[in-house]
Amino acid sequence: MPSLIILVPLLGLIILNMPIGNFMRRGAFWFAIALFSAQVLLAVFHHSLAWTGKLPPVDALFKVGFTIDHLTFIMFICIGLVSFSSLLVARHAMGDEGELFKFINLLIIASVGMSGIVMVKDIFSLYIFLEITSIASFILIAFRKDVYGLEGAFKYLVLSAVATILMLTSIALFILVSGDTSFSTIGASLQSGNRVIVMLAIGIFICGLFIKGGVVPFHGWLPDAYMSAPAPVSILLAGIITKAAGIYTLIRITSAVFGFIEPVKAILMLAGTVSILFGAFAALGQNDFKRMLAYSSISQIGYIVLGAGTGTALGIAGAVFHLFNHSVFKSLLFVNASAVEKELKTNDMNRMGGLSYRMPITSATSMVGFLSTCGIPPLSGFWSKLLILIALWQTGHFAYATIAVLASVLTLAYFLMMQRKVFFGKLALGLENVKERGAGIMFVSIALAFITIGAGIFFPVIYNNFLLPIKEILVK
Amino acid sequence: MNLNIFLLVIMTLAALWTVMARSLLKATMGLAITSAILTILIFRMASPLAAVFELSVCTGLITVVFVSTISMTKPLTHKEIIEASKDRLKRFWYLPVIMILAAIGLCFLKIPGDIKPALSTGTMDVRNVLWNLRQLDMFGQVIIIIAGALGVAILFKERKDEP
Amino acid sequence: MSDNILILPILIPLAAGLAILATPKKWRGVKEAIALLATLASLGITLLLFGKSLFYSIPWAGFGISFSLRLYPFSAFIIAATAIFGFLTVLYSSSFLFKKDYAKLFYAYLLVSLSFITGATLSDNLILLLFFWEGLLVTLFGMIALGNKGAFKTATKAFIIVGLCDVCLMVGIAIAGHMSGTFEMSKMNIPIMGVGGIAFLLMMIGAIAKGGSMPFHSWIPDAAIDAPLPFMAIFPAALEKLLSIYFLARISLDIFKMAPESWLSYTLMTIGAITIVFAVMMALVQKDFKRLLSYHAISQLGYMILGIGTLVPAGIVGGLFHMVNNAMYKSCLFMTGGAVEKEAGTTDLAKLGGIGTRMPVTFACFIITALAISGVPPFNGFFSKELVYDGALERGFIFYLAAVVGSFFTAASFLKLGHAAFMGKLQERNRGVREVAWPMLIPMIVIALGCILFGIFNAFPLNHLIQPSISETRLHGESFAGFPTNMTLVIVTVVVLVGALLNHLYGVKKTGNGLGAVDHIHYAPGLSWIYKKAEKGYLDPYNLWWGIINVFSAVMSWIDKAIDWLYNDFATGVANGLAITLKKLHTGSYKIYILWSIAAAIAILVFLLKAGA
Repeated sequence: MPSLIILVPLLGLIILNMPIGNFMRRGAFWFAIALFSAQVLLAVFHHSLAWTGKLPPVDALFKVGFTIDHLTFIMFICIGLVSFSSLLVARHAMGDEGELFKFINLLIIASVGMSGIVMVKDIFSLYIFLEITSIASFILIAFRKDVYGLEGAFKYLVLSAVATILMLTSIALFILVSGDTSFSTIGASLQSGNRVIVMLAIGIFICGLFIKGGVVPFHGWLPDAYMSAPAPVSILLAGIITKAAGIYTLIRITSAVFGFIEPVKAILMLAGTVSILFGAFAALGQNDFKRMLAYSSISQIGYIVLGAGTGTALGIAGAVFHLFNHSVFKSLLFVNASAVEKELKTNDMNRMGGLSYRMPITSATSMVGFLSTCGIPPLSGFWSKLLILIALWQTGHFAYATIAVLASVLTLAYFLMMQRKVFFGKLALGLENVKERGAGIMFVSIALAFITIGAGIFFPVIYNNFLLPIKEILVK
Repeated sequence: MNLNIFLLVIMTLAALWTVMARSLLKATMGLAITSAILTILIFRMASPLAAVFELSVCTGLITVVFVSTISMTKPLTHKEIIEASKDRLKRFWYLPVIMILAAIGLCFLKIPGDIKPALSTGTMDVRNVLWNLRQLDMFGQVIIIIAGALGVAILFKERKDEP
Repeated sequence: MSDNILILPILIPLAAGLAILATPKKWRGVKEAIALLATLASLGITLLLFGKSLFYSIPWAGFGISFSLRLYPFSAFIIAATAIFGFLTVLYSSSFLFKKDYAKLFYAYLLVSLSFITGATLSDNLILLLFFWEGLLVTLFGMIALGNKGAFKTATKAFIIVGLCDVCLMVGIAIAGHMSGTFEMSKMNIPIMGVGGIAFLLMMIGAIAKGGSMPFHSWIPDAAIDAPLPFMAIFPAALEKLLSIYFLARISLDIFKMAPESWLSYTLMTIGAITIVFAVMMALVQKDFKRLLSYHAISQLGYMILGIGTLVPAGIVGGLFHMVNNAMYKSCLFMTGGAVEKEAGTTDLAKLGGIGTRMPVTFACFIITALAISGVPPFNGFFSKELVYDGALERGFIFYLAAVVGSFFTAASFLKLGHAAFMGKLQERNRGVREVAWPMLIPMIVIALGCILFGIFNAFPLNHLIQPSISETRLHGESFAGFPTNMTLVIVTVVVLVGALLNHLYGVKKTGNGLGAVDHIHYAPGLSWIYKKAEKGYLDPYNLWWGIINVFSAVMSWIDKAIDWLYNDFATGVANGLAITLKKLHTGSYKIYILWSIAAAIAILVFLLKAGA
């Protein structure tokens, strides 16, 4: 049954591209909508038959089998939500129907790639799906074919190539040691293999994933790619692609293959902390709205890696919840940034000001987004940071916990600066005719803001039904 | 020093030359040579089928595509070639440095030379592996090809309108 | 009675607050009606609950975090007081905020805050308490931001100061929970040593910052000018003090079981003494009704902290009694200030004067509460201050001295305030001043009567409210009702009060009006320089802190530039030599990213091979 998650979109994609008639182009939007909603709904109601039911001819198609656990479900929800937002924004941002059609094709490919990433349990298949996602993202970043887009895509391409080389080398070493590519076999044989080779392979793989996830100092491509991509693509990249390709994979591979051994934990926590601090300080100095959000992403990725680095059930639950929250509120902020960009034709924060008078809903939802990022209760970001902090405290990493708390003040500082420059204060010159954007985009902002608030208020429900069961990935 | 290591060194040098070549044509040639040596290496490691793929696709097909593409572009003038070749050593000095450092580093790692791979390739048929065990990966390749085709359609389609 | 009735006083205001948010703006009077009914209902329930002991708990978030509420005499008394003040303030606001644009939002915030305060008071679990406590931060920001032009800046200031202290509280709670293995307050018992001392200090910062103690006070005087007045009357004046002192008492008496000889006791007393003296000195020279009151709101908190910090029975009882008394007279004083503002249109003392005869009821309430805050017998403030004096004298003469000095200046500044605002010559612009409407008068009269009753019949509050709140082992079975037994202290107090009166008369004679009554202190050699600096905000910790932040950010921006230089100039310099065009600088940078990645990868590999193999 799970293979349908990959098969249905692909069949749909092929049918949509058949030269039957123009109505297919219009149908593509609704097909994508149906696809993403089905993904979210199936993942939310994961006790239903959809995951356990048998469909013999389809099941027989892939012999490898899939991992379907609570971590996968949460990732499905994130993928569906962010793709959905990106799609709705694209519909308003792209005037041409043909453009939109091409975009939807790539969006579906990227989403299939990510769904594959979160389901596979074989290290080589993982690599294939990573590549699918990356190729779709290169094209998406360069979608407008302007100089900046091409430059951003090129940087991502080159750095991704380095990551690919690293991961392939590592996979080769794993095959050398274990003779197979499935997670369980490799994990079992790592104990007995030659220590130097095993450590080399683990280190190289982690570096590759760090590049994909944009962890400092592997982050060079990230600000350029986020900034130069078209609005819907920024949402997709910041919201989910780097998380699924880099961070989720890191958590999954570490728990299923490497095991949380001390040196790996130390590297994760150090890299996470460096990312938190670097991203926050860099964000403080930005004048460009989207670039600031990109650095803020780096900082938040740091929290996720730091939480995962504790290696305890609570820390991983916190990291995964933060990943979910970050998908939601960073998508929200990018949706709003794209709305502002579209209205003002600029991203320079020094030329904005007082937009809350002209765009009240954008302003209010941004406020929700940034308060959640800073971890202000009762929004969802508070809970995930709290879980990470408690986990750090329980494992005795007081210094990291302190830095994490202090960096959260830093987060507050740069977001307050952003909110003041962009939305509060006096209306800047020349902005008298700015209007709130279309109903579709507003719907996305409001929906995402409500998810942020709702996930905070109903945290206990989420915690018991989705986060607590994640600890099953630690039991092998 | 056995033959494999010698070939590896030659291949590395060819790859370096590919990056630092002064014209696209020479870079293509470098790539072809790199692939050819790689083919020999794979062949020596008892994977004849993989070697044949490498030889036909990378060494043959891709080189042909590259050369035919390059022949359609305007060649560099003599002056431009001199300009380009002047600073290429300065531009890429760090590549050989990294390679040498990496080689030295690997020498220090004390990797035992007699590791036997856990997987014996002789017993498995390639067709069996590809179509019965790794369908998911083949399937992924299909998606990658579709994505690539879309990418070409999106990124290069309208180029002809531009001057 | 079922245990889950405990949720009602939290839920009712919350639901009412949300209902008000959903009410259309055009429905006049509906929001006031909802607010009044909701506060009345929760008042009824809290009075019904009074004197009972209940415990309600449901599992909430795992890891020992449960939604547990505990009602016992102390919390029952605090929530009852909260409900009473909530009701009176809503009644007052229904007239004061009539036809104001932001009334709807204000009621909504107010009710949600009441719900959170009740929740924080009842919660037995520290994480649950933190949840309500942080929620208050948001409503605090919202309510201040509703005010006039400068309100947003002030709200941000308050948000940052209180927010930072809440972070301290959070860390303190985390340490305390880690040390005792539970977050249930009733099960905690932590020795004050080493990390325990740090935990207490952090939680104490959170507690006293909520009340606005020095050095976390500086948003309160700004808020007095910028925020809506009913906010001042209920939050900094009453409810935040209740919550702050309640929590301070809980942590120092229950969770940590502090002993008088602990160094933290001296820390608390020093903070209290400094807060009393410095805040009252600032209050003395203010020329604005509300700003003057706001500094007293800070100063009075000092008495409570000092009282609790003594850790001797008289001091603790005095501190808690003072908390109740202060909540009463201070909110009433702010309400009279609001009445004056509503009628005269200003609270600048230079533009007031002589309106006492035009607003007799307001003036009478002002006199009663001013006498109470100055500690004149037989009003309530006298009795609680005497208890605090008693406790302070037992622990050290210097603390007693600070408290008495504070008392002198309190009396002096209220003589000046009353004289300047209500007496003297009536100015031309105040001809139209009349008595305010009854919804504003009733709360003032009720509270003023309360001040008298709590003074004359002080045995009732002391025996039935305060002493049951403290465990018997602390009190040694003593009772503090009735007239103070230590007559020496009473005589000193009377002398000090008479001194303040003489000082006032001297000042008035010298300058000729009530406003200048303390000018001889204000412009005394040495003091005038400090006052000038303080008025300009140089001594405001918030401004000092921002100064440090600015320096820090300058350094950071320099580092950032250095990193920029490293990325752009240095890196391409490595690649291309020294001369390079700007264009190449842009296209060349991705190589540097790769170099960075490779360098970091090598570092990671070296570490892994060292540590793992």
